[in-house]
Amino acid sequence: MRTVTNARRDRPRAGAAAMLRPPREQMDRRAVPVWTIELLFLTVPVVAAAVAAYWVFTSRPVWLGVLTAGFALLLLGLAVAAPRAYHRLNRWEVTGEAVYTRTGWFTHVWRVAPMSRIQTVDTERGPVKRLFGLADVTVTTASAAGAIKIEALDHELAAELVERLTAMTQATPGDAT
Amino acid sequence: MTAWRSLHPRSLAASAVMSTTIVVPVVAVLIRALPGDWPVAARTGVIAGAAVLVVAGVLVFDLARLRTTAWRLTDERLELRSGIAFRTHRSVPRDRVRSVDLTADPVRRLLGLAVVKIGTGEHASGERTTLTLDPLSRREAEELRGVLLRGSGEEPGDAPSRDVPLAELDWSWLRLAPLTVWTAAGGVLIMGIAYKPLDALGVDLVESGAAAELWDWVTTRPWFAVPLLLAVNVLAGLAGAVATFATAWGRYRLEREPGRLRLSRGLLTTRSLTLEERRLRGVELTEPLLLRLGGGARVKAVATGLRKKEENEADDVAMLTPPMPREAAGRVAEQVTGAATPGLLSSPAPGPPSHPRPGLRPHPRAAMTRRLRATVLSTAFLAAVTAAAAWSWSWPSPWAWSWTLPVLALPFTLWLAVDAARGLGHALGERHLVTRAGSVARRTVALDRGGIVGWTVSESYFQRRLGLITVSATTAAGDGHYDVLDAGTEDGLGLAARAVPDLLGPFLRTPGPGTPAPGTPASATPGLATTEAGTPVSGARLTRLPDPRTPPAGRPVP
Repeated sequence: MRTVTNARRDRPRAGAAAMLRPPREQMDRRAVPVWTIELLFLTVPVVAAAVAAYWVFTSRPVWLGVLTAGFALLLLGLAVAAPRAYHRLNRWEVTGEAVYTRTGWFTHVWRVAPMSRIQTVDTERGPVKRLFGLADVTVTTASAAGAIKIEALDHELAAELVERLTAMTQATPGDAT
Repeated sequence: MTAWRSLHPRSLAASAVMSTTIVVPVVAVLIRALPGDWPVAARTGVIAGAAVLVVAGVLVFDLARLRTTAWRLTDERLELRSGIAFRTHRSVPRDRVRSVDLTADPVRRLLGLAVVKIGTGEHASGERTTLTLDPLSRREAEELRGVLLRGSGEEPGDAPSRDVPLAELDWSWLRLAPLTVWTAAGGVLIMGIAYKPLDALGVDLVESGAAAELWDWVTTRPWFAVPLLLAVNVLAGLAGAVATFATAWGRYRLEREPGRLRLSRGLLTTRSLTLEERRLRGVELTEPLLLRLGGGARVKAVATGLRKKEENEADDVAMLTPPMPREAAGRVAEQVTGAATPGLLSSPAPGPPSHPRPGLRPHPRAAMTRRLRATVLSTAFLAAVTAAAAWSWSWPSPWAWSWTLPVLALPFTLWLAVDAARGLGHALGERHLVTRAGSVARRTVALDRGGIVGWTVSESYFQRRLGLITVSATTAAGDGHYDVLDAGTEDGLGLAARAVPDLLGPFLRTPGPGTPAPGTPASATPGLATTEAGTPVSGARLTRLPDPRTPPAGRPVP
C-alpha cells in the first residue's frame, strides 16, 4: 500500500517555510477502473445523445460535426484521465491520534479530525465498487462541517479501519463536542 | 414530581383573547359579503353568530389540546405527551437540556402565564430540537427552569439581581437601532405588509386608481415629489426600526449566574433565555457595515444545542445583545469568554497608534491583491455581460448605457475590497482562537480552543500562487466551522498547530536538510496496512452515540 510519493509534486515550494506534508497512504489501484466505469456510465449516454442529435436532427454540416466530435472526445478523455489524476492526488492516513486526508486538484483541501472527537464511522459501497471489492469510509465529528471521506479502500481494509476507529473512539470519554 | 401534570387551564382565557385576531377579519369579510338588501337585524345576527362560532371553535380546540397534553419531570427525564389526533410521546434526558427559554406575550403576561421552550442538544438533521410547554403559570415555569438547569453549577439561590449584570439596556443605544438596511426599505416594507390585509378588506390600490393618481402626481412635479416620497419612506423606516428595537430589547439584561448566562428582554412580549456555560464554545462580535460605520456592534453566542431561529422571530436566538457601542460590546464579549482575548476590545479599524492593546495579526498584502483583482475582474465581467445583453437586444437600445453601472460602482466596491482585506486578522488568546473577516458583514469570532473538533485547510490555485491559505476550525457549535481567511501559509498553519497542540503539528513539514523523505515510515502509529487482518464487516454501520451520562466537563483537549 505504501507507495513512493511523487517527489516533484510534493517538493516544498521556494519561499514557503512550512507546509502540510501529504498523507502517507494512497488509494487502492483498483479505484482507477472503478471511477472510469462510473464516469463512463455518466458520459457515454451524453455523448451518444449528442451524436444521435447531430445525425438525426441536423443537415450534418461539417463544422458542427467537428464540434460534436470534439465534445465527445473531451468528455471521454475526461472520463479516462480524471480518475488517474484523482488517484494520484487523493491521499489519506490514520495515526493513533488523528484521521488525515488530502483531496482536490484546483483547490487542495487537507482535513484533520482527532480520534477523541470522532462520533460516527460509516462504510459505503456502490455497485461498481462492490464488484471490485472496494469501499468508502466516512468519519464524522460533532461539527456539521467536519465529515471526512476516505474513498476507495480495499473492503477488508475498510472493515478493519472501521473496527479500529470505533474501538479507539469508544475508549475516549465525553460526548465529543 | 413523578405524577403527570397538565398545562395551565388559564390558557383558555388567553386563547379566547387571541381568537379576536380571527374574529375581526371574519367579521370584516362578512360585512362585505352579505347582501345589502338583508335587514340589519339578520345581518347583525349572522355576524354575531359567526363570531361566537369562531371563539367557541378556538376554545374547544384549546380545551382538547389542554386535555391531551401532559408532562412530567422524573429524576432522569422530562417527558411530554401531546397531540389530539396523532399522539406523540417525547422523552428527553434531563442532562441533555441545554437551554430553557421563557416567553410571554402581553396577553399571557397579564394572565400570569409563560410559554416554556426547552432546547435539547440533538443535532441530527430533521430532528426537533425543542420541547414546548404552552403555557405554564409564571411561577411553575420559573421553578421548572430552576430545576432543569440545576446541577451544572452551584445552587442558583433565586436572586437574579445579586451581582452586577454583564450588560443592561442603555436607552442611548436607540440611536444605533436604525443602522440597518431595513430602514432604507422602511415605507416599502410597511406597504408590503399592509397590502395583504387591505386586499382582504377589498381595498385594491391598483384598481381603485389610487396608484395611478399617485403616479400622475409624482410625474407632474418630480423635483418635489421624489425627495418627499424618499423622506417619508426613510421616516417610516426610522420609526419602524426604533419601535422594533424598543419592543424587542426594552428591559434588556444579560447576567451571569453560576454556570450559566441569563438573558431577559422585551417590552411587550418578555423573553428570557438561559444558556449553560458548558455549552458555550465562544463568542462572536458582528458588525454589519452600517452599524460599524455608526460605531456599533452586537454580540452573539457560539454555543451547541441552541435552537434554530424560528420564522416569526426577528433576531437570532444566539444574539446576546442589541446593537450597542463597539467598545461596550467588546467588553461584554470578553466577559462572556471569561479570558483575556485579543481583538475583541480594539477598535475595528486598523486602529490609532495610541492603542497599544495587542490586536489581531493582520494578513499579508497578497490578501488585498487578491480581493482587488477579484473586484476588478468581476466588474469587467459584469460590464461586458450587460453591454452584450444590451447590444443583442436591439440597437440603438435604451439600455445601451447600462454597462456603466458596474463601472460607476467601482470606487465603492474597491473600497469594500480594501476594507475587507484590512479587516482580516487572527490571534491566539489565552483560551481562544480569534479570527476576523468581512466588510459588509464583519465578524470577529473567538472560538474556545477546547471546542475545536478538527481542521480543514484549503488552498486554491490562486491562493497557492499568492502564498495564502484558508484555515478552518470545525466545531460542534454555531456555524459548524469558523475560517481564518487568506492567512499567510506559514502563519495560518502555525496558528492551527499552536491553537490545538499535537493535532495538526505531526502533519507539518518544515523543510531543511533534516526533512525526512515523504516515503519514510511515520514516527507515529504505523498506517493501517501494517495491522493484521480483521473480520470483514462489509457494509456495516458502526455508530458511536454520545453517552448522555458521561459528564462532558472532562472534555479532553486532543
